[in-house]
Amino acid sequence: MVILAALLLLIPLAAIAQTFPPLTGRVVDAANLLQPQERAALEAKLKAYEDKTTDQVVVATVPSLEGYAIEDYANRLFRHWQLGDKEKDNGALLLVAPNERKVRIEVGYGLEGALTDALSKVIITTAIAPQFQRGNFAGGIDAGTDAVLSILTGDAEEWQRRAEVREDAETPFDPVAAFIIFLVLFFIISRMMSAGRPRRIGRGRHGPWIVTTGGWPGRSRGGWSGGGGFSGRGGSSGGGGASGSW
Amino acid sequence: MMGLPLPARIRAVLTVMVLSLGLSACGINNVPTLEEQAKSAWSEVQNQYQRRADLIPNLVETVKGFARQEQEVLTQVTEARARASQIQVDASTVTDPEQFRRFQEAQNQLSGALGRLLATVERYPELKSNANFLALQSQLEGTENRIAVARRDYIEAVRAYNTELRTIPGRWIAAIVYPEAEPMQTFTATAGAERPPEVKF
Repeated sequence: MVILAALLLLIPLAAIAQTFPPLTGRVVDAANLLQPQERAALEAKLKAYEDKTTDQVVVATVPSLEGYAIEDYANRLFRHWQLGDKEKDNGALLLVAPNERKVRIEVGYGLEGALTDALSKVIITTAIAPQFQRGNFAGGIDAGTDAVLSILTGDAEEWQRRAEVREDAETPFDPVAAFIIFLVLFFIISRMMSAGRPRRIGRGRHGPWIVTTGGWPGRSRGGWSGGGGFSGRGGSSGGGGASGSW
Repeated sequence: MMGLPLPARIRAVLTVMVLSLGLSACGINNVPTLEEQAKSAWSEVQNQYQRRADLIPNLVETVKGFARQEQEVLTQVTEARARASQIQVDASTVTDPEQFRRFQEAQNQLSGALGRLLATVERYPELKSNANFLALQSQLEGTENRIAVARRDYIEAVRAYNTELRTIPGRWIAAIVYPEAEPMQTFTATAGAERPPEVKF
């Protein structure tokens, strides 16, 4: 109740009030639970998996949930990082908050069918929590990641899904972009046509056009990742997954 | 138009295009765009409540197998589910305060009954370790969380839409171009609805 009330009050401010660790790679160990070589091994595993399937699986540890419930924090973090493709929403996040003794697997819309709430819960209770109870964070995170990856690649249903996912989706036609291109072309052509005349078409300078396309409030989609570093690709999550404590 | 020299025609076309672009930049499309977003957020809310309703019969059956004497709580859950499902939800629900309040109340009552059922379950260790029950419980938890997220998204979408309707220039645009646009209802925090079940021994 208190959490909900606080949540409702905080909604308009959430984007400002909450700070998230930057998405520096597939393993964001902000709580410093892993040794460098463990981090590198995990990172390599996740990268190999992503190269094979395009699913973005990210492991994060945070020193504090900043007073939020882990479900809420994980969902906001997932959306902030935009894990998974924009169209497929094929991201998953394993979030560990050692100080609150909470762990959560947050699943993007597109993977909910494979990595169900019940399976996520089973991973947490059987693979992750027992290790965490013994203080073995690296072991728990590693076992949890392995379980997530094996479920995502495992059963027949999953392969069915992958077959659908694999088909390269056509880039949807964007009318706004097309309109701008059209406009620019038009402008260039008309300049060329009037080039012989002393009078300039369109007096003065042309300021930049500001085109607002309808954004989805609260669910930030979009975002273009340039080459190089690791980043989310516009995916979102609707709160699928499970959480647990130890 | 035909008689005009070519550059003038181009300029006329350009003017029309710039005008339409300018209009969309100043937000003539904001009201319907935000309305559609709020509506789709609403259907997600309904979706997730429906998902919860679909889980309940199975849950009730499983609990019955282990805790037959808890008939009262089980009946409460079944009845609350029936009441929540009876409420007709259509497009007008979001703009009609009375209908929206009924919907919210019925769902809150179901949340309360479910909370009591899960609290009762704590007394049955055998049930608590039953694999079927555990799977159902995690699905229910997941659904409750999805409901929370869907409600959060809906509240945010409605906030954006209602703000657009109530502020200038959206208010003027709506009055002239979209006279049928109405502000939407939003969720309020209700006592007891989101409180985790208390466990008493």
